Amino acid sequence: MEPFYHTLKRIYVDMAHAETKKNQKTIGTYCVMAPPELIYASGAVPVKLCSGNYTAFSIGDDIAPRDACPLVKAVAGFKQTGLMPVYEDCSMMIVPITCDCKKKIAGMLSERCEVTTLHIPATREDKDIEAFMNQLYDLMEKLENVTGNTITYQSLSDGFRKVGYAQYELSEFIRLKKQMPYLIRGSHAMAILNSASYMPADEWGKALHKVNLSLEKRIAENKTVTSKKLPRIMLTGSPIVFPNIKIPLLIEEMGGIVAGDETCMGERGMWDPAVITDNSFDGMISALANRALRPCPCPTFADNSQRIYRLKQLIKENKIQGVIYHVLRGCLVYDFEYRRIEEELGKLGIPVIRLESDYNEEDIEQLRIRIEAFIELIKLKQAPEKVMTVRKDF
Amino acid sequence: MNKYYIGLDGGSTYLKAALIGRGRVIDTMVRNTGIDNDGTARKIAKELCKRNSLSASDIGYIMATGYSRKVLEVADDDISEITAHAYGVRLTAPKEYRPGMIIDIGGQDSKIIYLDSSYGVKNFSMNDKCAAGTGKFMEVIAQILETTIDHVGPLSLQATNPCDINSTCVVFAQSEVISLVARKYNRCDILAGMHISMAKRIIKMMKKSEKGGDILMTGGGALNTGLHHAFEEELMRDVYIAQYPQFNGAIGAALIASERG
Repeated sequence: MEPFYHTLKRIYVDMAHAETKKNQKTIGTYCVMAPPELIYASGAVPVKLCSGNYTAFSIGDDIAPRDACPLVKAVAGFKQTGLMPVYEDCSMMIVPITCDCKKKIAGMLSERCEVTTLHIPATREDKDIEAFMNQLYDLMEKLENVTGNTITYQSLSDGFRKVGYAQYELSEFIRLKKQMPYLIRGSHAMAILNSASYMPADEWGKALHKVNLSLEKRIAENKTVTSKKLPRIMLTGSPIVFPNIKIPLLIEEMGGIVAGDETCMGERGMWDPAVITDNSFDGMISALANRALRPCPCPTFADNSQRIYRLKQLIKENKIQGVIYHVLRGCLVYDFEYRRIEEELGKLGIPVIRLESDYNEEDIEQLRIRIEAFIELIKLKQAPEKVMTVRKDF
Repeated sequence: MNKYYIGLDGGSTYLKAALIGRGRVIDTMVRNTGIDNDGTARKIAKELCKRNSLSASDIGYIMATGYSRKVLEVADDDISEITAHAYGVRLTAPKEYRPGMIIDIGGQDSKIIYLDSSYGVKNFSMNDKCAAGTGKFMEVIAQILETTIDHVGPLSLQATNPCDINSTCVVFAQSEVISLVARKYNRCDILAGMHISMAKRIIKMMKKSEKGGDILMTGGGALNTGLHHAFEEELMRDVYIAQYPQFNGAIGAALIASERG
């Protein structure tokens, strides 16, 4: 776990710069739909800038309108203060326009830094993929200008290799994480996934490889983090971005385990690797465009039935007993999908609760009682243990 | 022989206790919580036993619930209010009640709990960060109208033309009520309006997908006949009222205790 904690601590506590080689540029991204392969191909390092910082949020609260989501407020806050090196270092920021808040924040950020927006279509048809490919070609040109490097067939395939390696290790990690009884706590797993935002993919992959080896060792030695049958909870909904990880921590504090997640800073982020079906340069760009749009269960798309499919798949794979649906206040697209998902999962007998939250510590008690009751609800389906003692006095 | 169980419900102002045995409620008791939660809990447990000629060894298990459940060390374990209320209705619901939904109106929050046909908790919703739709809200309004919380129900039933109260926030509703008073509206009409607005607000919280079974009211709010009437009117169906509504949480906790000890 060390390298991951180290990274999160460096960025958020020591307020250090992202680790780069000499003269290497960093490119900020705000969504999983900005392809990291292309950034590596230009010789730069991508840094995911979606933020869960409470201080930045309270500053951004005065800048962004009241109903904007806390994630965007936190970004606005960082932009205003200019204190976070990871933000200040960026030579360019890529903002996929997944919602109205992102659109406006892109405009705000452009006052300080070069910003490229990526238009995200409402559907995922062939013509949308083609249009997205054209955007990627434009983005490529901009990246070349910013970094002064040319993106070649070779450098792009290297980019694919780097990201692919991290994705491979991640799939191994997810396979090991599923083992029951558990080898690793879900909140720790989320810390690992979140730290991917600030580490180069190959290094993150290497560090994850070590984690995977140690998990394999735990299997061999029969070491698990808990022997109890903890209620297995899945998280979905609005992004859970470090350091706003109060919900996964509360779930595990109240005696559950985060056994899976369907959020964009979690397993979704790197899950589906880009698949190259055509070995040309155009084929690789097409693979990136396809990868960004087609498998993405983001509620920005008009029809998002595949999110339900993906949730059902995760529920089956991870033997999920309950789903916590996280809604960041003001995050409308996720809130919209709650009803349908509650209905669909209800048919499977999986209870779902909606937890609305913000970037502050004030609602922890309200969240705690809901999470506690939710976990009890799952626990009570199992038979209680009997206790026999004689009481002397009160 | 261990055959009695105690449930303690540590609320924000009152500590409620219920003693159950042989599957029925034997006695209930309520005290001001005070500053020493655990001390009050021990005292109330002792008194409850004394009043029913029981000794400490007759008590098989003590379960705590409510806001201060974690500090009640006299209890063997604790459980959230939601689970406790869901259990409580097994003993307090009227015979004809088919489990479906519980509306609990507490002092500081209100919640809706959805039950399956065997009284298991299916899901729940709670009001968010707001006192509107709680006992506290009724208290504030009662004060403005120079009455007490016990009278708001009967008074509101005398209304002929309930006022419209739109605010969903206690502070705003308060100023709205004050302006209605200034415009010389009848007190009964204002109270009836308040109950309708509370009921509407809580009904909004209900999940549309949960339709089966009957509706039951618990918590102190269930004692308010005006609010009960407003719920029936707004929902256009019968709403049952639990026995011992204020003690429902404590009774539920005691019932869970009986499964453990």
